[in-house]
Amino acid sequence: MAQPMDIAVSRNGRRLLTFWFGLLVIFLYAPLGLLLLFSFNDNNLPVFPLKGFTTSAYEQFLGNAELRASVVTSTKVAALSSLIAVFLGLLAAIVFVRRHVFGKSVASALLLSPLVVPYIALAIGLLVFFSQAPETFPLGMRTVVMGHVVVSIPYTILILVPRFERLDVRIEEAARDLGAGAFQTFRLITLPLILPALVSAFIVAFVLSFDEIIIASFVAGTVTTFPLYLFSQLRFPTLLPQVIAVACVVMAASAVILVATEIGRRVLERRLGTE
Amino acid sequence: MAVEAQEAAGQAAATGPKRRSHTGLATAGLLALPTLWLVVFFLVPVVLIFLYSVNIFSLYPGGQYFTLDAWKDFLDGSPFLDLFWKSIRMALIVSVISVIAAYPIAYYLALLSGDRKYTLLLLILAPFLVSYFLRLLAWKVILGDQGVINSFLYWTGLRAQDDPLSWLLYSQFAVILTLVYIYIPFVALPIFASLDSLDRRLLEASADLGASRWQSFRKVTLPLSMPGVIASFIFVFIPTIGEYFAPLLVGGVEGTMFGNAIADQFGQSLNWLNGSVLSFFLLLVVALLMAVFARFLTVRRVATG
Repeated sequence: MAQPMDIAVSRNGRRLLTFWFGLLVIFLYAPLGLLLLFSFNDNNLPVFPLKGFTTSAYEQFLGNAELRASVVTSTKVAALSSLIAVFLGLLAAIVFVRRHVFGKSVASALLLSPLVVPYIALAIGLLVFFSQAPETFPLGMRTVVMGHVVVSIPYTILILVPRFERLDVRIEEAARDLGAGAFQTFRLITLPLILPALVSAFIVAFVLSFDEIIIASFVAGTVTTFPLYLFSQLRFPTLLPQVIAVACVVMAASAVILVATEIGRRVLERRLGTE
Repeated sequence: MAVEAQEAAGQAAATGPKRRSHTGLATAGLLALPTLWLVVFFLVPVVLIFLYSVNIFSLYPGGQYFTLDAWKDFLDGSPFLDLFWKSIRMALIVSVISVIAAYPIAYYLALLSGDRKYTLLLLILAPFLVSYFLRLLAWKVILGDQGVINSFLYWTGLRAQDDPLSWLLYSQFAVILTLVYIYIPFVALPIFASLDSLDRRLLEASADLGASRWQSFRKVTLPLSMPGVIASFIFVFIPTIGEYFAPLLVGGVEGTMFGNAIADQFGQSLNWLNGSVLSFFLLLVVALLMAVFARFLTVRRVATG
């Protein structure tokens, strides 16, 4: 069979597509590369010409307690909100794939709707809602978590549903026939099989929450999450190299974590023999 | 015919082996928890926004009574309405440019053979994992009067020190460029998915029947990839209408959008009545757009299936 590429595009067309692809890769990576470059530049302003190599921006932020506190806050918020979102997403995914319930389509529309609602509207809604009962919902880490769960749930559902669809229901039925209870079957059979997807869902929700700034900026109260801290520092132009340095470190750290978990997930899947 | 048979096979595969079909309280209970969360932290807040917008709820104690005055003011040619249309226009520009820029990339990747396509796809998607804020910051650094582009122009003498290209930052241009930059990886994915699942034999068939490559693209590939195109369009267009931080950081006065007006009403202006009208209007428009798009998507599915 001929290569699909040969049928679909001429040689010149292919060259043009390759060129466009290269151009876009440059467009996507050059700004990030420039940031990295300036984080090592010995100048308080990110301007050309470059002055010299320094790691002072990196050293400065290590001694910045406020900054470290904001990273800890964001990590806590992200961990908690993604745990809740994965749990709720799992419940919903089970029902969507395996059960027939009255009102399923309405529920799925509701659960997926935060995907298309502008975050500013969600943030305002939460602010108005929390302000009705300031004693029950004092603005802070808890309220940010509540908001982040809302925007994470659709992503966890979208990751878990396809995994459930590929899962052979006969395995579960076999377990039930051999006398396992519903919960036992879930714990011993279903859960291990969907674990990789659960991990993926957790990571996506975690990254989403760690990076989220609009909802946090309205319902965080006096708490400072990491993106909020970065934003507050932008008012002082001389701190820019430091902010860039932090952002680069976080970028590198998240890349390492993502690659590590992806490798872990693949190893897990191979061991389980599901792929 | 072939398409129909394949669709039928696909459906059978999707339904899979015989399913246990449960109904009952236990099942309803599973769905209750996530639904409840969304009702409390999404639906109730939306209703509250509406109640504030008609002044049944008010920030000022004793001032609660039903009135549509704020709505009338808003719809009667207020500057906020102009700002809304401007935001729609900007969102449209951003989503059209993103889709047009990303389509050839998705097409190129989908046509590559072997595992290489997934590796290269990862290369395009990876920037999406870089913090949203950092990607905004990058353009702020690049476009400013003292930024990368202008300082480069001074350095090379192409531009005088006191005469920077000032329209680069704090402009509509900056907001549009930054948002396109942020959304391209996101847009490429659904288009790639729809192109990747396209049956290659359809292209062979159309070539065998004498269609040129361009004709095959226009009559076969493009229509079949439309669901992916529409999905990516929606996922850029709708959030962009309410964009808040990109205009705040790189937009300046000229690049201000509807989201900034909303935030301002709840922040500095402390006018929850007006702010609620703006927010609820945005939600209404989004709901309406989704209804239109959803209809369009189903019609397409009927037309192609």
